[in-house]
Amino acid sequence: MQSFKDSFVSGIMRANPTFILLLGLCPTLAVSTSLDNAVGMTAAVLFVLLLANIIVSSIRRFIPDRVRIPTFIVIIATLVTLVDLMLQGFVPELSKSLGMYIPLIVVNCIILGRAEAFASKNRVVHSIADALGMAIGFGWAIFIVSLIRQLLGSGSLEFFGVHLFTVPGLEENPAAIFLLPMGAFFVIGMLLALFRWMGVSESE
Amino acid sequence: MGKGNGGLYPILFLTAVVLISVIALTVTNGITEEPIAEGRRQAIMEMLQTLFPKMDDFSFDEQSERYSVTAGGASLGQAFMAQGVGYGGPIDILVGLEPDNTLRGIQIVSQKETPGLGAKITETAFLDRFVGADGRTLALAKDGGTIDAITGATISSSAVVEAIKAAVLEQSGNNEGGE
Repeated sequence: MQSFKDSFVSGIMRANPTFILLLGLCPTLAVSTSLDNAVGMTAAVLFVLLLANIIVSSIRRFIPDRVRIPTFIVIIATLVTLVDLMLQGFVPELSKSLGMYIPLIVVNCIILGRAEAFASKNRVVHSIADALGMAIGFGWAIFIVSLIRQLLGSGSLEFFGVHLFTVPGLEENPAAIFLLPMGAFFVIGMLLALFRWMGVSESE
Repeated sequence: MGKGNGGLYPILFLTAVVLISVIALTVTNGITEEPIAEGRRQAIMEMLQTLFPKMDDFSFDEQSERYSVTAGGASLGQAFMAQGVGYGGPIDILVGLEPDNTLRGIQIVSQKETPGLGAKITETAFLDRFVGADGRTLALAKDGGTIDAITGATISSSAVVEAIKAAVLEQSGNNEGGE
């Protein structure tokens, strides 16, 4: 049994969902084109991951092994739909900016992966710590990918409408390829190589 | 884990999980249906207001699919939806039209273009290029028209232009037919 602190810290670096576990890459590649998107996606992941981990962990003793994956999927899909409806109904402003990320959460393997690998085997408090750590780990990872892609792809950096920085020479002719899907693969591949080279890995 | 694998238990368990989910979703849908519909109407109202700042009410004619925009009961103009096919999927556009077929303004309602490229069709700098143009002869500058395309996003720009032109032609055809 890991300690509470371990459960929290591991997701941030040693078992980073994006760079080490390689979970949830599909939505990461798809929306990491701007810092705004990174923040929106992180908020959505944090919320659903936290709820999914709490629910799965608290009923873990009753879940039969043979139907555990369908159970997780039903729980996650229900949660995502509930959140989506609630946001649309009561906080339409937030729904407008987060709206496109919510359905992407269903296909985010981080949620299912953590339910299977962690929440179904650990106590609720540890599962909460795990959800927070994983969400932070996902958050900084997608933030870095978005930062590089936005900087190179559009030649300038904007954060929620505030202009932060312009790359000299890139402003006029931005390397738009970085905003396209193949640019996402370039950036994430380079970053994966960098983290390998720095010796960060789960196996220690 | 590794327990409760025998007999009916897994079946009953999963059925119960699904039942609880269905109940939770039905209840939530019932609660949120009204606010969501109201929110949509509010959103349409706000979008119409960007085209007609003085408006205070609108009505929707189901047959011609046109919004009639009014202020204090007096008509300000018409608005209707146009749909184009962009690079990433359908683009829905709200078109505001003056009686003489010049464009009052346009708003992008929904789009799935590439962020940072085609998605720039939602920016004011692009939308403003349409104001005052004749809807029936709308064309990109490279095709001899007046609308400058977005650099690197010709397909998205062209989709918007073509969709508006087609919708305006259809609507002005409706006008003549009806009067």
